Amino acid sequence: MALSTEELEEAILAKAAKSPKPQLYIKDFYACDPETKPRAIKNVANGLVKQGKMVFWSSGSTTMYALPNRVKDEEHRTA
Amino acid sequence: MPKHDTPLLDELEKGPWPSFVSDIKRQAEKKPECWDILGQLELSYEEKITHWKHGGIVGVFGYGGGIVGRYSDMPKRFPGVAHFHTVRLNQPSSKFYSTEKLRAICDLWEKYGSGMTNMHGSTGDMVLLGTTTKNLEPLFYELTHDLKQDLGGSGSNLRTPSCCLGKARCEWSCYDTQAICHHLTMHYQDEIHRPAFPYKFKFKFSGCPNDCVASIARSDLSVIGTWRDDIQIDQAAIQAYISGEYNSNAGAHADRDWGKFDIEKEVLSLCPTQCMRMDGDKLQIQTSECTRCMHCINVMPRALKPGKEQGATLLVGAKAPILDGAQFATMIVPFIKIDPENDFQEVIDFIENIWDWWMENGKNRERTGEAIQRVGLPAFLQVMNIEPIPQHIKEPRSNPYVFWKEEEVEGGWTRDVREFRKRHAQ
Repeated sequence: MALSTEELEEAILAKAAKSPKPQLYIKDFYACDPETKPRAIKNVANGLVKQGKMVFWSSGSTTMYALPNRVKDEEHRTA
Repeated sequence: MPKHDTPLLDELEKGPWPSFVSDIKRQAEKKPECWDILGQLELSYEEKITHWKHGGIVGVFGYGGGIVGRYSDMPKRFPGVAHFHTVRLNQPSSKFYSTEKLRAICDLWEKYGSGMTNMHGSTGDMVLLGTTTKNLEPLFYELTHDLKQDLGGSGSNLRTPSCCLGKARCEWSCYDTQAICHHLTMHYQDEIHRPAFPYKFKFKFSGCPNDCVASIARSDLSVIGTWRDDIQIDQAAIQAYISGEYNSNAGAHADRDWGKFDIEKEVLSLCPTQCMRMDGDKLQIQTSECTRCMHCINVMPRALKPGKEQGATLLVGAKAPILDGAQFATMIVPFIKIDPENDFQEVIDFIENIWDWWMENGKNRERTGEAIQRVGLPAFLQVMNIEPIPQHIKEPRSNPYVFWKEEEVEGGWTRDVREFRKRHAQ
């Protein structure tokens, strides 16, 4: 049975916290619940960004997801 | 007074063409940070390496695209470009806007950014070059509230849909490119503003096979206007071209004497499928052989027009070179009606089928066309529930990609691979 939205949010946050890579592609979260469609997982991940629990990291051509405390902060490095 | 010496860049001001270096110098008189663009670029020319770092977490609240973070890797030496983010604005369909709107956007950009723009970027957007993170939210507020102007797509989002002039100015347009471009832009606002895919995805709409927006080369879903009945022929006008009464190509080459118009040499012999011939003084076209290349129509626009039964061809999978080199789109649906009455539902269904498959099967940073190339066109056609047709085959003798399945062959077959390999070493 597919995870509920809350369970999926927890699974995504846990994956983002445990992953050796600080930034993850949306596809990296598909494994959090193989029974949920990719588009639904994308909506939950984007919802976490809206709540401020994750951030988008974009190279300009690709967008990745990260926990705010794990991502490189160019703003302060270059200020 | 220049802040940096730029002898290499100064070379680019010589010659007859407009120079971006001169433009930046002019802008630097008003916006001193622009001197640092020149300084950093001069250094890059000397060292043959870029000093831009791209990427980051910058954006405006609620959006996951439209702003591209740019930073200098030498912020102390070039503080004016330490943060120099790019803002993409969704252009109006066919890039029609009033000078009033354009002035308002430029004034706003002088206020919050470097004042430098790229009209238009290769994405089609109005590109505003160079601002700081703290200016993004106030800029966005004024753009959306005062100018009613939204951001375009970037990153793994649906990119800003883009279209040719269409029926607004072109008699050859076989469907209303602006209508579908605008409709899909509004329909897919979430996908444009927030990441949704393994990588970028772009729609482009061309009204006829001249494909003025190069959709066949520059979009993941290319919608190109076409017709499925006969090219409309005005035989009297054909004679007017032959007699020299009408200029060929609507006079586009009339600045030089190319000699008398020769229909055989300039039209019939250049037809890629040789589907045209003169039967006495009548032009005959065998429609079943015509590939809609548009050459004859371009040469004799007063005599030939696209047919009356109009729609579009859907092609999928073009991309510019990144990993595997440039790739043109592959024709998937030869003809589909583009119907505004039902909100373009057939096209939307087609798009969503592609997305569902690509989101599940595409690898990270793999464009749709690359995914199709990896799994093979037959697998993609099967997913899309489309029967293979001869037109899907590029080279019948060298890429016979359609393989029969056992259940499709009467009587089936049995095969012992080990026996086969005894005779055909791998």
